[in-house]
Amino acid sequence: MTDTSIKDFEAAIAELESIVKKLEEGDLPLEQSLVLYERGVQLSRFCHARLEEAERRIEVLNERNELRAAPASLGDAD
Amino acid sequence: MSTDDLFDLPFEEDDDPAQPTAANEAETTSSRPAQADALPDIEASGAIGAAAARARAPIERRILTVTELTVRVRDLLETEFLEVWVEGELSNCRVWNTGHLYFTLKDSATQIRAVIFRSALRYLRFKPADGLRVVARGRLSVYEPKGEYQLVCEHLEPQGLGALQLAVDQLKQRLQREGLFDQARKRPLPSLPRKIGVVTSLDGAAIHDIVKVLRRRYANAHVIVRPTRVQGEGAAGDVARGLRAIGRVPGVDVVIVGRGGGSIEDLWAFNEEIVARAIALSPIPVISAVGHESDVTIADLVADLRAPTPSAAAELVVSAKDDFCSRIDRLHDRLRSATRARVQGLSRRVHAIAGRPAFSGFPGRVAMRGRHAAELTHTASRLIGSVLAVRDRRLQQLERQLVTFDVGRRLAAIRTRLVGADGRLRGAMTRRQHRAAAHLSNRVGRLETLSPLSVLARGYAVCWTGDRTRLVRAASDVAVGDPVKVTLAHGELGCEVRAIEKLSAEEQPDS
Repeated sequence: MTDTSIKDFEAAIAELESIVKKLEEGDLPLEQSLVLYERGVQLSRFCHARLEEAERRIEVLNERNELRAAPASLGDAD
Repeated sequence: MSTDDLFDLPFEEDDDPAQPTAANEAETTSSRPAQADALPDIEASGAIGAAAARARAPIERRILTVTELTVRVRDLLETEFLEVWVEGELSNCRVWNTGHLYFTLKDSATQIRAVIFRSALRYLRFKPADGLRVVARGRLSVYEPKGEYQLVCEHLEPQGLGALQLAVDQLKQRLQREGLFDQARKRPLPSLPRKIGVVTSLDGAAIHDIVKVLRRRYANAHVIVRPTRVQGEGAAGDVARGLRAIGRVPGVDVVIVGRGGGSIEDLWAFNEEIVARAIALSPIPVISAVGHESDVTIADLVADLRAPTPSAAAELVVSAKDDFCSRIDRLHDRLRSATRARVQGLSRRVHAIAGRPAFSGFPGRVAMRGRHAAELTHTASRLIGSVLAVRDRRLQQLERQLVTFDVGRRLAAIRTRLVGADGRLRGAMTRRQHRAAAHLSNRVGRLETLSPLSVLARGYAVCWTGDRTRLVRAASDVAVGDPVKVTLAHGELGCEVRAIEKLSAEEQPDS
């Protein structure tokens, strides 16, 4: 709880799961409920943000291990 | 010249003293004319009948050295059996330092020595081993120093199974023993790959299929393609190198390796050990996508996940993302409803307590308690009053009787009764008061458990209008600048509304 940094999706979702479980089970003091809720919203937003964050892009890794834009024929495929 | 000639030699005449062996030896591969010249010598010896001598003379005279014979046998075999196909069972397989493989090819009755040179051995896609039935293609050759003939094989093909299939099976067994196919080795796909690696040919259909699926289902996918040959010489090395290169690109969390369908020969690269090893050593999960219907390639067995086609591999990546999204959405919903339930539960309790008649109109604990005390006191005094009224009536009655009856005689008795009544009255009063006090403390005890204070102690605050006539339940109950009172667990605050904000729809638990 005190660790507000979020490592990755898996960690975020695991923490979110445990928060929801605590909230669903517990007769927690209001203050703690609200703190957990806030953290939960934060985690859920993090996950959503990362979902949208990836860039639509296709690159080619050539023999010299350099990244280059993919030929148009690939990028235009749909 | 024919083999018949050789085998028809009359052995009984071998010791012919006139046999000019030295002369013949001198001219090892002697020409016909030279042999013909020798004929008169035989006739001249006169050791045998002339008729017989004439009939056999051309043969008898052709006496060969071992070398000569061997050379002739070699010539014969090597021209006659320039290309033969022989079927048999391998035994005594042995690779010499030279890299050539020597073995015996046999059937139930006979056997023949055979060799396959290193240069040809290289191209076999299975490992020759004792007991395997094979079809060998080769030529016969004679090993002159030992007078042995052998089959020089150019190609071996396992009988029954195709060579490629056998090679696959052999490698499969070996890797399986090493544990490369163990389920425990399989890694889960990442829920949300930052970048998706693809190792395949840029010319094939596979890459287009993959990109198509990703575009449709995962619009913002970031794909990194490593172009490689996927069939033919060098393809396996290419694919293995490509896997290693992709594995080193930061952010690539999963890699699809594969190609479209084809024959077992076309898919060969995916059955090679070098590819299997590269997959096993990949730092990121590998999805194999070798398009084929029935056979499973070794790449499929080593991969963390096998997809039947490149499109299916892309679907697997996407479905992991879909699962992830719906998991987050479900968790978010549960988070909201759990919190809402919790807050609503607390709100209901507070409102229930605040809404009790005993509390309405009396702000704060002391007021509420005071009200109760006052009510109880009032009840008690009413009771006392009524008891007193009864006594008064009784006294008046007694006074009336006093007038009627003999005052002197009855006065003492009356006084006695009066005193007794007084005593009983006091006792009743005391008992009633005790009961009232007990009742009061009982109510106060319940009050404690129901008190908003216990909720206040958890951080809940009660907000009143400035004049403390009403609870403020909604931001819209007050205007900016209004004074409000906030009752806390300890003490009370006089406040002024500075701003009115609504909770956002997403976080508003009561929405």
